[in-house]
Amino acid sequence: MEKLLSIWFASGMYNITFGQFFMIIVGLVLLYLAINKKFEPLLLVPIGFGGILANIPEAGMAFSAVENALHFARPEVVRDLAATLGATSFDPDQLKHIYYDSNASTHAAASLVAQDAGYSNGMLYNFYTIAVASGAAPLLIFMGVGAMTDFGPLLANPRTLFLGAAAQFGIFATVLGAVGLTSLGWMNFSIKEAAAIGIIGGADGPTAIYVSTMLAPHLLGAIAVSAYAYMALVPMVQPPIMRALTTQRERKIVMSQLRHVSKREKIFFPIVLMLLVAMLLPDAAPLLGMFCFGNLMRECGVVDRLSDTAQNALINIVTIFLGLSVGSKLSADKFLDLQTLGILVLGIVAFAVGTAAGVLMAKLMNQMMGGNAINPLIGSAGVSAVPMAARVSNKLGLEANSQNFLLMHAMGPNVAGVIGSAVAAGVMIKFVG
Amino acid sequence: MDELLSEGLSLMVFGMGFVIVFLTLLVIATSAMSRIVMRFEPAPVPKAAAKAKTMSSNPADDAQLIAVMTAAIHKFRNDRKGQ
Repeated sequence: MEKLLSIWFASGMYNITFGQFFMIIVGLVLLYLAINKKFEPLLLVPIGFGGILANIPEAGMAFSAVENALHFARPEVVRDLAATLGATSFDPDQLKHIYYDSNASTHAAASLVAQDAGYSNGMLYNFYTIAVASGAAPLLIFMGVGAMTDFGPLLANPRTLFLGAAAQFGIFATVLGAVGLTSLGWMNFSIKEAAAIGIIGGADGPTAIYVSTMLAPHLLGAIAVSAYAYMALVPMVQPPIMRALTTQRERKIVMSQLRHVSKREKIFFPIVLMLLVAMLLPDAAPLLGMFCFGNLMRECGVVDRLSDTAQNALINIVTIFLGLSVGSKLSADKFLDLQTLGILVLGIVAFAVGTAAGVLMAKLMNQMMGGNAINPLIGSAGVSAVPMAARVSNKLGLEANSQNFLLMHAMGPNVAGVIGSAVAAGVMIKFVG
Repeated sequence: MDELLSEGLSLMVFGMGFVIVFLTLLVIATSAMSRIVMRFEPAPVPKAAAKAKTMSSNPADDAQLIAVMTAAIHKFRNDRKGQ
């Protein structure tokens, strides 16, 4: 009987809290969206599953050794930890908060005490520390994206870079929105948190993850989930805005064929971009540096093996670790919060404003160039989300004129958007980091 | 609270301003780079056209091409009959 009871007391059913139960449901919903609705499945399957793993009661997969030790709260271990942390209380919850706020050396000491007592870091916690907190995973993914990006359309028509710049307005408008909600007293975001939320409008997963680990790691789960969910929703969010802001005549504009771009131009471009970053904005150097490196490997033609690894095997491996790590941040105490709701709302505002700004900029450029040179539909592609946003521009162009293929023209602003959001990320980190 | 709002506003103005300045400089640098590269490298278009011309004027190639096409059409028709 005693054995039976001990099994019951150790079971998930006995230990599960309402928050954990709810988050497992959230994880299942993410899996449903990924598998059934094909919402960014490459990311949402690992994130959803990671979220479920992180909320298994008693397993502590997403917690550090100290958090696990405090969860089981054996009196002698708690006493040792309190002494290490310099705390007077023996309440595990209070100790946890002191542990979160402590500096790195105390952190390490507490971790060693917990390990001496036989507790260890959870697997997902280790993944998170190594892959995401260090910044490695988002940067490696950015390298892979660089190796997959063809800058040909952008080089053929460099002015489309302006569209990529305009669409970043969504990021900054959302920062202002988050700060405004705080001023009204509806939400409570610091400027760092507001900046991390705004970057959702960049529609670029690795950039959003990188910025939020730098500025607001506790919001990472909500920010990454809303960034990837809205990127999947681009084909639904963008078209109404694009139709509302353009006339039928503008949507029918046929753009002239792009010129041929030589191999040498493609090799020089990442080098020019990197030098410009080095001179002007070193804070964007980690993101754009890896991006340019990936692109140079692709274009230089002498390291095809490296380029192939960066855009296939490596990016897949990193995606698995990144997804599981982000999922580990979907633990109940961090995700079930009014802030998450605010992030979801602000995220979609960021997308909508960015799309509108891109389209309006394209209209302006079209007016300045005589009214028949640029189809404003390609402006919306400035919000990165490669290549989904460009496909949306192409689809709406075909609706207006069945002979009008805008895909290659939209790829220019699309990759410009990737550069633009990485620059915006660098500016954010510089100003508020 | 108001301090936060002004901080947000200045982030927006400076941030957006910087993004535009950076990408404008990138447009200038890229255009300059393309112009320099093109000056040193003649456009490859005439070369490709010349190649195409020599290929089609070669009677041996033509004969082979016609043979291949005939075989393909023959196969296609047979396949359709079979259905």
